[in-house]
Amino acid sequence: MAGPPSARTRQREPRPHPSPYVRTERPISPFAYYATIILVYIGTDLIAAWGLNLEFGVTGIPNLAFIVFVASGAYTYAVLTVGPTSQFGGAETYIIGGRVPAFVAIVAAVVVSGAFGALIGLTGLRRLRLDYQALTLLIISFVATGVVGANNSIFNGLDGLSLIPNPLEFVAESQRAWVYVGVVAVLCIVTLFLVRRLTDGPLGRALRAVRDDEDAATAIGKSVLGLRLLVQGIGGALAGLSGALLAGFIGGWSPSAWGYLETLALLTAIIIGGRGSNRGVVVGTVLLLGAFLQGVQYLPAIGGRPDLIFDFGWIIVGGLTIAFLFMRPQGIFPERRPRYAVGESDAGGGASRRFGLLRGSGTPNRTSALSADARTNEAASSGVAMDGGRDDEVVERDRVALAGVVATRARTEQAASYADILVVEAISRSYGGVRAVDSASFTVPKGSIVGLIGPNGAGKSTALGIISGFIRPDAGSVTFAGVDVTRLAAHRRARRGLVRTFQLTREFGKLTLLENLLVAAREHRGESLFGALAGRRYWGAEEELHLERARSLLELFGVTHQANKLAANLSGGQKRMLEMMRALMLDPQLLLLDEPMAGLSTAVADRVEDACIGLRESGVAVLLVEHELAAVERLCSNVVVMAQGNVLVEGEMANLRRSKLVQEAYFVG
Amino acid sequence: MRLLIETIGFGIFSGSLISLGAVGFTVQFGISNVLNVAYGAFITLAAYLGYIFVNDAHFSLWPTIAVVAAIVGVLSATFNRVLTRPLARRGGSFVAVLVATVWSGITLQYIIVSIASPSTFTYAVPNGTTVNIGYFVLTSTQLIVIGGAAALMLLFHGLLTRTQLGQAMRATAVNPVVARSCGIRIDRVTDVAWLISGMLCGATGVVLAATTSTFDASLGTTFLIYMIAAAVLGGVGQPYGAMIGGLVVGVSTQLTGAYLSPAYEDVAAFVILVLMLLAWPRGLFGSAASAAKRLAG
Repeated sequence: MAGPPSARTRQREPRPHPSPYVRTERPISPFAYYATIILVYIGTDLIAAWGLNLEFGVTGIPNLAFIVFVASGAYTYAVLTVGPTSQFGGAETYIIGGRVPAFVAIVAAVVVSGAFGALIGLTGLRRLRLDYQALTLLIISFVATGVVGANNSIFNGLDGLSLIPNPLEFVAESQRAWVYVGVVAVLCIVTLFLVRRLTDGPLGRALRAVRDDEDAATAIGKSVLGLRLLVQGIGGALAGLSGALLAGFIGGWSPSAWGYLETLALLTAIIIGGRGSNRGVVVGTVLLLGAFLQGVQYLPAIGGRPDLIFDFGWIIVGGLTIAFLFMRPQGIFPERRPRYAVGESDAGGGASRRFGLLRGSGTPNRTSALSADARTNEAASSGVAMDGGRDDEVVERDRVALAGVVATRARTEQAASYADILVVEAISRSYGGVRAVDSASFTVPKGSIVGLIGPNGAGKSTALGIISGFIRPDAGSVTFAGVDVTRLAAHRRARRGLVRTFQLTREFGKLTLLENLLVAAREHRGESLFGALAGRRYWGAEEELHLERARSLLELFGVTHQANKLAANLSGGQKRMLEMMRALMLDPQLLLLDEPMAGLSTAVADRVEDACIGLRESGVAVLLVEHELAAVERLCSNVVVMAQGNVLVEGEMANLRRSKLVQEAYFVG
Repeated sequence: MRLLIETIGFGIFSGSLISLGAVGFTVQFGISNVLNVAYGAFITLAAYLGYIFVNDAHFSLWPTIAVVAAIVGVLSATFNRVLTRPLARRGGSFVAVLVATVWSGITLQYIIVSIASPSTFTYAVPNGTTVNIGYFVLTSTQLIVIGGAAALMLLFHGLLTRTQLGQAMRATAVNPVVARSCGIRIDRVTDVAWLISGMLCGATGVVLAATTSTFDASLGTTFLIYMIAAAVLGGVGQPYGAMIGGLVVGVSTQLTGAYLSPAYEDVAAFVILVLMLLAWPRGLFGSAASAAKRLAG
């Protein structure tokens, strides 16, 4: 068995290696032979690894069947170029057998694998929990090898295909290998350029949002399905390119060379190098191949068993992977998020600019049972300025600032014909035998704040889920801004201005606070495929606009100094602010707030209240689910009470407090 | 007709074995919310350990099963203690834990191969006399296995329903937080659950190797697909589901092998698995709550 190629031995057969006595009349030097092989392998593995990193590291799709797409690219190239089966006198059987020019065949391989990749993405697998997806894909890979190996008509069984022409046949034998290395190197650079354009800008942000939290990504208007399909298509295409290049270089194709272990090896390279980081992937791939091809190659045969070397190789890689997962899951070169300049706000949180609308507008403050000292401390620790004498100018400035940032859509819609921004008509939803929501109906008038209260289990969250499109109702309709949206997908509702927040904050943990806001920008040319590829010159100006909006929001909510902090590291109250700001970036007409004050300190909850009032005054409507009845009373013009899935009664909070019906509902449940 | 009955008969035997293994797998998921792909490698380990006892130490089959079951049981519990539980506790995502179990399985498999050599092995166990019941044709060993598996399932059922440990296991599987508040020592219970499921795994491995003509280090990997299909069919985390699921998978794959081609047996299991996940992820015995665990994560 010859050198490095067979060092990649997996289950049974070694990967087919270039056969010197078939190809070269004049043998090249051994050094050149090994060097070119290693370099081509590293190059093609890099292309594949960047593809898998795009799918898994950046977008979170655990494609453990990735090697199948590499194999499909190789196979497509092979059957398009190898020529008719008759040349083998019946010894090999396969389909097509064309003599297409190599370049065309490579392009075909890329297209076929890309389509194949997107196709898999369309299946219902995407609705499963991620580890189920991963497991199913892994099993697909395993079974595929068996099925292909057993099939003798299309794939020529375990023997595979041989004598696949080299795309560089027109180059002289002695230089062919090095030229091939050159070609692969160029394609690597092109791939890196392409992948960076996709993963570094606004599109990359959107993909990472999908990775970090699919539901939250949907809630800010991203089409998760569309993004996943895009990524799986491109990932598949890169896999196909990698496979075709390898098939052309080796000259052979056999199913056992494309086993599930290959995907796992690539995955390990990505984990070790740095998930989501293109540079990290380079390090991981080179290291893993270096350790495999090089280190393993020079170990002596132990006890007369040459296969031991490869066994040890896998054992070491397995140990490394587990060690990294435990101790350094982010990899050697972790993904780094860009830092943005956010202006002059100091570490104290810009205490002069705070939401003081409530205090300035004459509405009674929340009376706190805390002493004045405690209040000061609490307020200071959350960065709120304790200003007894609040400037009306400052209040007005805040209000104008908020109106400037948001509610452009709400203002233009104010003249619209409908009186109610939201009409919920007889919605119902059951789970098993339980009626979570039972024929509930209510409305939210334009630009008003309506409360939705009720004991736990009343169906409030389910109702919000139905309204926002995350839960499909069994019956009933939802009309938003005069349009029936009952059948409309959740992300489309968000784009139209029907925006929700979540009860348990769902931040995009691995993006910074500022990026969490940027990714919520409603329209961004940098998020389309074309825009991403066109680069910063194309979307840079628009990015600046969104940055300005985001900065204003950060200032208004007093968290400017946290702008470049990873969202996962924010405090609970700051995450709540994040959810609110992110929803505001979408320029909503109706905001669905799911228990926004839960678990917040008084000072931070005050800020949320202030924001709600500011929004109302800007024409944005709010549907507020809350248990904090005092806040509900202060904010809401109308309150809807739900219990056991029904709407019990509606009215003003003061009246409801006195209603026996409501009291019983809360106590009896 | 004869072929059909014979195939079904063999399917029941193969299904009993799948059930045995699937129950262990499903219990591990139910209790720890982990898809333990290393389970296949543990089956392989059991097979090789059994080989040492049967062929080298000249034990008879039944004591071997007991001893190997105990060994693999302890190793399984250790595996959970040392790997899957700490990783999950440190905030490892579901995929991270899965990848860790996958690689653990691969590493274990290659350790076995490096020690044992890649050749195939056979247990030095007599096949037992052939028994004809109507059209069913089975060996005495196979009949004992069917009976033994049924007995073990009954025992397990008794454990789950009539003992305090069993109740604690069920409580922990449904809601570990509440279970802990009720005074159940969930760490202890989890260890025991992995011990028992490991024992089932060990028993399955030995019997599987004993009833296959030859085996190599890929034994557990291929069998894993059948067990996972059975577990998903019955509803992951549901032991009774795994029992029924095993029989269904066993019979269907044997029928596919007999009427289509033996190469498609794996594919049949895989098709069952994928169809269930796509169309009916909750499985036969799964509840809406367990479906939520699976789909929403």
